[in-house]
Amino acid sequence: MKIVDISRRSARNLKQAKARTLLTALAIGVGAFALTMTLAASNGAQAYVNRLINNNFDPTELLVAKDETIFGRGDNSQPQEYDPSFGSVSSASGAPIQVKQVTEEEVNKILQYPLVEGVREGVILNVQYVTRQGQKKYIANIQDFNPARNPEALAGSIPRPLSDSSVLLPEAYVSKLGFKNAQSAIGQEVIIAIRKSLSSQILESGVAPRSLQEAEAIADKSTVLVPFTVAAVLKPEPAQPGTELSLQISSKAAKNLNDIATAGTSQYRQYTTINVKVRDGEDKAKLKQVQEQLRKDGFSSQSVEETQEFLTQIINVLKAIVAAFGIIAIVASVFGVVNTMYISVLQRTREIGLMKALGMRRRDVSRLFRFEAAWIGFLGGALGSGFAFILGTLLNPWITQKLDFGTQKLLIFKANQIAVLILLLVLVAIFAGLLPARKASKLDPIEALRTE
Amino acid sequence: MIKVNNIIKSYGKKGSVFKALSDVSFSIPEGSTVAIVGKSGSGKSTLMHIMSGLDHPDSGSVTVGGQELHTLKGRAMDKFRANEMSFIFQAFFVEANQTCYQNVSLPLEIADEGHRQKRIENALDQVGLKDKIHNKAGSLSGGQKQRLAIARAIVNNPSLIFADEPTGNLDSATGEMIIKLLFKLNRKNKNTLVVVTHDDELADRCHYRITLKDGKVIHFSENKKVSKKQ
Repeated sequence: MKIVDISRRSARNLKQAKARTLLTALAIGVGAFALTMTLAASNGAQAYVNRLINNNFDPTELLVAKDETIFGRGDNSQPQEYDPSFGSVSSASGAPIQVKQVTEEEVNKILQYPLVEGVREGVILNVQYVTRQGQKKYIANIQDFNPARNPEALAGSIPRPLSDSSVLLPEAYVSKLGFKNAQSAIGQEVIIAIRKSLSSQILESGVAPRSLQEAEAIADKSTVLVPFTVAAVLKPEPAQPGTELSLQISSKAAKNLNDIATAGTSQYRQYTTINVKVRDGEDKAKLKQVQEQLRKDGFSSQSVEETQEFLTQIINVLKAIVAAFGIIAIVASVFGVVNTMYISVLQRTREIGLMKALGMRRRDVSRLFRFEAAWIGFLGGALGSGFAFILGTLLNPWITQKLDFGTQKLLIFKANQIAVLILLLVLVAIFAGLLPARKASKLDPIEALRTE
Repeated sequence: MIKVNNIIKSYGKKGSVFKALSDVSFSIPEGSTVAIVGKSGSGKSTLMHIMSGLDHPDSGSVTVGGQELHTLKGRAMDKFRANEMSFIFQAFFVEANQTCYQNVSLPLEIADEGHRQKRIENALDQVGLKDKIHNKAGSLSGGQKQRLAIARAIVNNPSLIFADEPTGNLDSATGEMIIKLLFKLNRKNKNTLVVVTHDDELADRCHYRITLKDGKVIHFSENKKVSKKQ
């Protein structure tokens, strides 16, 4: 018997039991729906992570720290002995962590590496305020501009390299600082105020304050006002949440501000992490070479790829959880298919007997039912994935808006993934149909054809 | 020639053996009509099953057109049955949900034969159901269903057609029509027709009549009148 004839007959059988077929297929469809959504969501998450990484990191750079803790590899479960040369950070839970810092000498040492092109200290500091002539003062946060990034400018353009007196101003500050619009801010001066550390305040004033008023007066005097020229106004970057209020200045300027703020403290010219740019760092072997050298000198480092791996791992775990539910749904639906197929075999005992009497081969009888199961699997897969696709496509704009993803879609459907998924479900259904098909093929035609 | 040689068939295990057929032998020429008659339990169904290769005898042989049937194994047996045999049953066994076309198509599909459209139309034409070709079998009357079953039996032009009580579920007028059709087709197509029945009237119209009792042939006769008429 020809495959096409068998396939057509099994499809016809299914059509005759529409409700039963549809219900069984729907059970598979639930699993298919969950898996399609999982795939789409993880595609979206992966794309989001990739974008996040590519917007924020230079793949030829290595993130280097003195302390493994930064990369989540150290052990912080035991109390650590206090060390004044350490910087202290709060972990997400608020527990104190002290982190060994990279010193200026060490930076210079790394700069001597043959493959190292440069080092960016990656300074992030909270300045006292930012203001403009005749305007109110606003708190702000300063970041050094990563030349590998290419943020979108609302007005002006980002000079390359960014001069040490230029600032990239986030859109949110435009109206606050009294500019009519983004365009009118370009070329104007803004002032960043930074306060010297307490120890340098005391040292420089030469007097020890005896009251709070005196102390505040000293502190006010030791506030340094640094003027910057607005080079560009930046659009908020949705792929980089939390940075919409960061003013960006050149690496050197940021370092200078940081020096002012930390002079006289243990944190002076000490960095939790630094970014080491590797010459021809597109070559992974070269990155590895530098990483190896860093490891020998007692630094720990992470390439962008490794950072991405870590994030990807988190995504993978989430994926696995949802996929597990989908798989459970499919396993449950397998029993549905087995049950349906058994009923189908029982209902058609006589027909099977007739077909065998007419010389239909056992293999073909078995095939007839396996095809039937395959059709159910296909139908379930197509229904579930199709519904997921339609729902996802309809909901995508809404979800994206709610999650503030910008132009990024949360759910990304890929045709080849859906095709593979449906194929897999067809195979699962065929597997479920094996026992009933076997029963059908083993049916004794004499018994089957006995009237009564 | 269809030769049945010393067929012995028994059921059950030691101690409670039931002998369904004991030493059944006869031979009939191809293209003839044969009635196997006997009361229920006489072994006529068993004989039909063995003659059609659905069942295996304990000993003895069945030869159809020079081919010893029970030496065929698995696939070869299926193929032989698909090409050379077909069945008509008392309860019709047509698929109610399928159209007449689809019902008749089944043997052609099993035997993997081509030119289906033409052959199916021709078979339905011979039983007078050509205008019902795309009707569901379930919408047909009893007589029409049996005619459809006959069309299914002849579409592949087998050399041997087994009819198990073909008129058993029909009223006498419809039964008469079916019998006439069966004999007419036998004369036209020259297939051997083996009818299992306890209807004496039907048996009288066959060329040969084999009467079974308790698994033995108690009577074998050739009906000269029918033979001559042909």
